[in-house]
Amino acid sequence: MVERSVSRKVKGGKLVKVTVRSEGGRIAEVRITGDFFAHPEEGLEQVERELRGATVSEVRKTVESATGGVTLVGLKREDIIEMVEECLE
Amino acid sequence: MDRLRVISFSAHDAASNMALDEAIARAVGAGASPPTLRLYGWDPPAVSIGYFQEVEGEVDMDFCEANGIGVVRRLTGGGAVLHTRGELTYSLAVSDRDPAVPQDVQGSYMKICAPFVSALRELGASACFRPINDIEVGGRKVSGSAQTRRFGAVLQHGTILLDIDERLLCALRAKMEKLRERGITGHAQRVTTLRRELGRRVSHGELSRAVKRQFKEQFGCKLDAGRPTSGELCSAPSLAERYRSVEWLFRR
Repeated sequence: MVERSVSRKVKGGKLVKVTVRSEGGRIAEVRITGDFFAHPEEGLEQVERELRGATVSEVRKTVESATGGVTLVGLKREDIIEMVEECLE
Repeated sequence: MDRLRVISFSAHDAASNMALDEAIARAVGAGASPPTLRLYGWDPPAVSIGYFQEVEGEVDMDFCEANGIGVVRRLTGGGAVLHTRGELTYSLAVSDRDPAVPQDVQGSYMKICAPFVSALRELGASACFRPINDIEVGGRKVSGSAQTRRFGAVLQHGTILLDIDERLLCALRAKMEKLRERGITGHAQRVTTLRRELGRRVSHGELSRAVKRQFKEQFGCKLDAGRPTSGELCSAPSLAERYRSVEWLFRR
């Protein structure tokens, strides 16, 4: 099991940290933390759940579909994708 | 919004404050309570962290325990906030179908912060709204807010710094790192208080009165001095238990 974290100060000044635990290139667990907003909040937790089992090539599609009904404030969907991918590289 | 229930200033511990905000938001969302503005404080002082924050990264738990500072995870996103006695906190709960509050998140922050900006100006501070969710005076933050949309309601709560007890800032890890990076003046350069801007102490009462006047004017509503309903008071203790639980505090 490999654990990697990436932190980024995103546009608008919010600080976001993504931690990914993976095994053999597949995500076991993702945690997205920071001082951003997501409406509904559970939507972001759903993104974390849906990313389980994904490989780096599946991250974009998974995040895009899981964030469909979620309004992110102070954090962009693209930030999540890039940071999760970076953790898996 | 024709009428706004206003619950006057009182100070509570962190879990009770968060529980009461949630109980009111649930009642407002269910149509059991009218739109509500609550003004409150924190006793003992506390740190609140945003819904998505990691407690270990944000809060010096040993310092908080040694100094009797409460720690609570909010229902709302946003950053860690130190709540000392020199602070006025507010919560506004309205139905998510109420046209008084825009559906658009950024627009709704601006609309709800506007009466606070005007109240600060009324007291003599040259305040302005700074997106996403701050109010600044002279480029320094004097107020921050956070919002959630749940239970059929929009709940926004936020703080206005009247004065600050700088000794307690050690409770915030990130703030302390920034202080070390920039020297002790770092916090003073980014954050200000009404006392510093106006050169005098402003009481909770004085600011509360200005805030109420501005809500009445800007939302064009009648203000009803009110209290939490028995329904809200009944549901608050079990919600407070959740806010006090280790599972909730350390859930991220």
